[in-house]
Amino acid sequence: MTRRRFPWLPYLVVVAGAVLTVVPFLDMVMTSFKGPGEAGTLPYRFLPKAFDLSNYRAAIDQLDLPVLFRNSVVATAVITGSVLLTSSLAGYALAKLRFPGRDFVFRLVLATMMFPPFLFFIPRFLILVHWPLAGGNDLLGRGGAGLTVSIVALAVPFLVNGFGIFLMRQFMVAIPDEVLEAARIDGAGEFAVWWRIVVPQTKPVVVTLGLLTFVDAWNEYIWALLVSTANPDVMTLPVGIQLLQDHVDPARTMPVVMAGLVLSVLPVLLLFLLLQKHYIRGVMLSGLK
Amino acid sequence: MVNTLAPEPTGRTEHGARPAVPGTGGRTRRRRRQSVVAYLFLAPTLLFFAVFLVLPLGFALLLSMSRWTGFDLGGIDPVGPDNFTALFAAGSTFLTPILTNTLLFALGTVALALAGSLLVATCIERLRFQGLWRTLYFLPIVTTVVAVGNVWKYMYEPGGLVNGVLNGLGAGSVAFLADPGTALPSVVVVQAWASLGSAILVLTAGLKAVPESYYEAAALDGAGPVTVFFRITLPLLRPSLLFVCITQFLTGLQSFALIIVMTKGGPGDATDVAALEMYRQAFSYGDWGTASAAAFVLFLVVLAVTLTQLWIFRRKGEDV
Repeated sequence: MTRRRFPWLPYLVVVAGAVLTVVPFLDMVMTSFKGPGEAGTLPYRFLPKAFDLSNYRAAIDQLDLPVLFRNSVVATAVITGSVLLTSSLAGYALAKLRFPGRDFVFRLVLATMMFPPFLFFIPRFLILVHWPLAGGNDLLGRGGAGLTVSIVALAVPFLVNGFGIFLMRQFMVAIPDEVLEAARIDGAGEFAVWWRIVVPQTKPVVVTLGLLTFVDAWNEYIWALLVSTANPDVMTLPVGIQLLQDHVDPARTMPVVMAGLVLSVLPVLLLFLLLQKHYIRGVMLSGLK
Repeated sequence: MVNTLAPEPTGRTEHGARPAVPGTGGRTRRRRRQSVVAYLFLAPTLLFFAVFLVLPLGFALLLSMSRWTGFDLGGIDPVGPDNFTALFAAGSTFLTPILTNTLLFALGTVALALAGSLLVATCIERLRFQGLWRTLYFLPIVTTVVAVGNVWKYMYEPGGLVNGVLNGLGAGSVAFLADPGTALPSVVVVQAWASLGSAILVLTAGLKAVPESYYEAAALDGAGPVTVFFRITLPLLRPSLLFVCITQFLTGLQSFALIIVMTKGGPGDATDVAALEMYRQAFSYGDWGTASAAAFVLFLVVLAVTLTQLWIFRRKGEDV
């Protein structure tokens, strides 16, 4: 391409944009180290006077961080594990098995991706609250708090992911039938064929889907907010930190909130930087988010 | 069974590939067994769809045509289309400002994210360390909405970073989120900022698919960079642009987590959007009927906007 009149222009655009992207994160980190009365005062200062670690102490004390962390970890782990398992199983059936109704099920999976999630917030919440014989409910789902008493309630709406099934199926279609047929002739059942032959071959897509699911689950806010409104014991990190920000005088506690945010963002950020090649390829593959 | 009476195709015995199962009876049996196995593999998924997709959908439809305070399931009082008519009755805030805000929010984020990602993606293509740049732009996507919302909320404050920069440049402070006139645009900027990374990735994938020979031919013809961009890059990028457009628009129409975190719909109802209204009707006021009706209206808006976008691009001859 012959366009050498302003060779510095692309650099300028990209670097300026990158600065705009990164500066809010730096501001978050810097604010988390500011002392009392140092944040939110005029004139604005980017750097803290001294790097004050007490905000992290305060965030950990005020937030009951170990519990929030545990809830976030359990919910994220359950969601990621379930999505990978169900997507792989269903993807295999849709890609490699012949059965009546296959087209219908596949179209159903595609259709589930079209429905906006907000449509389901209210009824799903009500179904969990009125789940029969759970959390003090009777057979008709009355009287108690239903499934909202358990950490698992955080994970329930995300256990199966239509997009995950679709991704797995597309990947598995490319596995040659001869390989599977050979295993079947050797006497392997379908479960063994799936576990021994298909699952090992789908490692790249498992990593991709796992990362996408992990990040989404870790950052989930609205559903976690609903569930923890019904039962504060299952509060997750994002909900807890937002609560902290809601309740106290913003000028004084902003550094504490920022410290909490740094702690909540850090695990995902590290994971992303470690595996960003897979993750970015995953997003390109999915075209989503 | 008819199948077992059918004559054996000769090709099969010649190859001798099939084991000693006489006729095609073995094949049907295997088919049947495969069907059972397939449905076993699909059982968790189908069960989930039934309980957490189909059932909620029916439930939501029922609720949208009922009056219910959310306690006793026996107390659901069917009222027909009243909830829907109430949403659009005179004096209702649903159409203006709420739905208007929703559309403005979505339009604003799409416009900003599209323009920004197009600019950055085409520029990155000419630089070294492309992976590094894309990684940087991607950071907001892996971050929770609570972090993004709070950091920006703080940056918008009088003593925050944005006003700090404005003051440094000699300009006066702006009450970004506290002023009803600037609140919505201020949140739009944040939403666009947060979605830039994924839009850049999609457009990059589109740019990489443009054959280098097109550019070489254009260079031979002496086309300038502006001509190349508008005559080659942009038309060939249209499928990727459409994808970004539709997905961002969908997200924009539905999003409210960022607004809950940053403004809670305020000041007044300056940043109130449909999904937030639905959420509040249900979980703050306990009016599940109105909330469900609002959810369906929003769903229809989302559907209509998406189909319109597809239709417009189809008419221009794009296969999407």
